[in-house]
Amino acid sequence: MSTEKLLSRVMEAEPVGSRSKVTVVGVGMVGMASAVSVLLKDLCDELALVDVMEDKLRGEAMDLQHGALFLKTPRIVADKDYSVTANSKVVVVTAGARQQEGESRLNLVQRNVNIFKFIIPNIVKYSPHCILLVVSNPVDILTYVAWKLSGFPRHRVIGSGTNLDSARFRHLMGEKFQLHPSSCHGWIIGEHGDSSVAVWSGVNVAGVSLQKLNPKMGAEDDGERWKDVHKKVVDGAYEVIRLKGYTSWAIGMSVADLVESLLKNLHRVHPVSTLVQGLHGVKDEVFLSVPCILGSGGLTDVVHMTLKPEEEEQLRKSAETLWGVQKELIL
Amino acid sequence: MSSVLQKLITPLASNASETPRNKVTVVGVGQVGMACAVSILLRDLCDELALVDVMEDRLKGEMMDLQHGSLFLKTSKIVADKDYAVTANSRLVVVTAGVRQQEGESRLNLVQRNVNVFKAIIPQIIKYSPNCTIVVVSNPVDVLTYVTWKLSGLPKHRVIGSGTNLDSARFRYLMAERLGIHASSFNGWVLGEHGDTSVPVWSGANVAGVNLQKLNPDIGTDADKEQWKATHKAVVDSAYEVIKLKGYTNWAIGLSVADLTESILKNMSRVHPVSTMVKDMYGIGEEVFLSLPCVLNSSGVGSVVNMTLTEGEVAQLRKSADTLWGIQKDLKDL
Repeated sequence: MSTEKLLSRVMEAEPVGSRSKVTVVGVGMVGMASAVSVLLKDLCDELALVDVMEDKLRGEAMDLQHGALFLKTPRIVADKDYSVTANSKVVVVTAGARQQEGESRLNLVQRNVNIFKFIIPNIVKYSPHCILLVVSNPVDILTYVAWKLSGFPRHRVIGSGTNLDSARFRHLMGEKFQLHPSSCHGWIIGEHGDSSVAVWSGVNVAGVSLQKLNPKMGAEDDGERWKDVHKKVVDGAYEVIRLKGYTSWAIGMSVADLVESLLKNLHRVHPVSTLVQGLHGVKDEVFLSVPCILGSGGLTDVVHMTLKPEEEEQLRKSAETLWGVQKELIL
Repeated sequence: MSSVLQKLITPLASNASETPRNKVTVVGVGQVGMACAVSILLRDLCDELALVDVMEDRLKGEMMDLQHGSLFLKTSKIVADKDYAVTANSRLVVVTAGVRQQEGESRLNLVQRNVNVFKAIIPQIIKYSPNCTIVVVSNPVDVLTYVTWKLSGLPKHRVIGSGTNLDSARFRYLMAERLGIHASSFNGWVLGEHGDTSVPVWSGANVAGVNLQKLNPDIGTDADKEQWKATHKAVVDSAYEVIKLKGYTNWAIGLSVADLTESILKNMSRVHPVSTMVKDMYGIGEEVFLSLPCVLNSSGVGSVVNMTLTEGEVAQLRKSADTLWGIQKDLKDL
């Protein structure tokens, strides 16, 4: 046989297991954008895809495998059976139902809880030490759900939260100043979505606080209308959905950014959704985004932001709304 | 009252020219176009990316979605418009636009419809980027590369078809899998017409310079006990398979286009199997485009590698050339 003539075995055929495996659950637009971003950043040595739609799953896996020549990820696998996800370091959950027209948030959440009831235990079964990164919306609630269903310690269950909101804000800030977003610093925290909180006191370029230059920043009578910038962040997702039907690329890239910190143990600070009970006056078991340190152990520390009373009030209000929904869930 | 911007930043040379040096345009923001765009962005290949399409909402949505990820990228300008002025000064233009084959439609009819689409696109590209290199991806790629060449008036070295670049990538992946090695360590070329009649050059297939045909002289024939021919068939079938499963293919073609983009923009002079004008080679008398190993640099196709082909392989190329010319000669309005 050709192979015997071509190659001489040196090492007995024992498959060497992967050391930095990533699983993406859900091969819709967000899942695949996340997968491609992770692959193009050479972050993992094995990528697993899971979904219930078997043909689509197989097609997506094949399409990625056909690009193997251009990638440095030697193993790309896919199956609807979760055994294919075994020994993952990070599992990105993008699966879930989308909101139907006129559907209440509570109903959507309960539908997604039922989906997660199947997904989460299967993930845990095959990767009991993994870090769960929840992307599906409403992300703060579903991160709580994933935490409850998995039984994982809270530092291994992270929600993508306001990581993308902050990226959008920094992009808009960059456009305003003609600077690269990485040189524009601003943090959006709290609930991902309509009631996120822009922390104006922290917005800076090269350490220069913009609020010190413009004390009215973010207020109603701010001549520069920074509040509109935040509104554009909130509306950004809806606009892209209206124009192209969904969003994918930005969230995919932001997921890869988080995965990079987790797999490379970078100890970078990212605004992601974590258990905030006991912080900023929040009493209930809710997940909200605050700046967190991400490393190979997961979410190892939380950064204490000095917030204004009205900012803390907003966080507390979000917490109450989230708890209002969460306590009605059948887990 | 001076603004935050004025208090924060003191301009020194803000009016200095900021013409892009490595601008790439992608025409068509369907699944293939966007996969090309994202692969190029994530590989940090260009300093400006322009997107063009006729579907304005979709175009704007895709542009916004990419811009929202700009924090994670090193491409400072991402623009989009249905007006080609936005593509000005591109070094490379990737054309993915075109109509798809309808059920029962003849290839000639499909091509004629795409000629009409390209007549709206190509002159506009040239108007705004007269010195660009064009990479054609739309199918049937060999014919449409010819069409692009005719409509653009560009010298032949500046019009490239993605051709069998992807077929070769798939071939190398599938062959390498059988041997338990990475695709990049398996060397093999699939040439000629992109699609069903592509030619796997078995005489060149090697690992570390060890020629597989020397190890197995039957390789690629029907008599071959190891049935390596089946691997080439899998390459031909793979596009259809992926389309059957997920509706279209995009990731692999996107990655392969980014690979070509890298060679061109970085003037690397790497050899890629891409579709180029092959008249007067291998006894081909007509102006057709087929895939051969081409040296790609910042001028486009710098040179073509003279592949040593068997009689059978040359015959296959000539047959493809005849088929392509059969279609091309009846095209109107070129």
